Amino acid sequence: MGKLTNFKRSIWVFHASGGSCNACDIEIVAVLTPRYDVERFGIKLVGSPRHADVLLVTGAIPRDFADKLRRVYEQMPDPKAVVVVGNCGTSGGVFYDSYNIAGPIDEIIPVDVYVPGCPPRPEAIIDGVVKAWLKIEKLEKELEGKKE
Amino acid sequence: MSWLESLTLTSPSGFWNPLLWLAFLIIFAVIGYIIYSRGNRSYKPGTEQVKPFISGNAVDDVELIRVRASDIYWGLIEAMKGYYAVLMRMHTGDVRDYILWYLGVGAIILFILVGGV
Repeated sequence: MGKLTNFKRSIWVFHASGGSCNACDIEIVAVLTPRYDVERFGIKLVGSPRHADVLLVTGAIPRDFADKLRRVYEQMPDPKAVVVVGNCGTSGGVFYDSYNIAGPIDEIIPVDVYVPGCPPRPEAIIDGVVKAWLKIEKLEKELEGKKE
Repeated sequence: MSWLESLTLTSPSGFWNPLLWLAFLIIFAVIGYIIYSRGNRSYKPGTEQVKPFISGNAVDDVELIRVRASDIYWGLIEAMKGYYAVLMRMHTGDVRDYILWYLGVGAIILFILVGGV
């Protein structure tokens, strides 16, 4: 894993659940509970994509939800990163090639980090968010470079 | 009396000077600009980034989701729909209608008081 070089601010995460069975969502909640307590590292779950740096997506994404997910992604400020949590969002999982599924998620919005598992362990989710953090730092430096 | 003193209004409870007030306004404007300049400049105007978040749903017309003052009384008006439907039909906004009602009700009261004589 790369080294975090820029701790200018904490990372805020928005969680979008698209047709998930709730298993991944429960593991995301576990990440926030006292055993892992990622808020102490500045990783905070927020209620609006307008405030978020990272989009955490779970589920195989039903067709009706695809537009909403695209809109949620577009509402996030730059720089931003997308983390897919679970097998369903990563590859379609057991819903692969299903008629009512618009996913996998990378066919709807660009994905930066995949956290496979059914469901993935909380440690894996934390690792995924940290990887997204590195990506955001890189994007931020690129944005700053463009400004200069 | 200097020109600065001539601009100052003094009273037993204090003083008021427009130049001092202007200086405060400038200071607050500068503080405001500093806060504004530290905001995120990478946002893209005219895109979804500047629109309100409503669970990913498209919002074409803000008027459709705006909560009006009349919405506060929606429950009461809905519960008493039968009563308010009649009242709202009568409430035309035309002063001539109101005068007609005034005269009509006044005539009825007079008729009752005088006893039909």
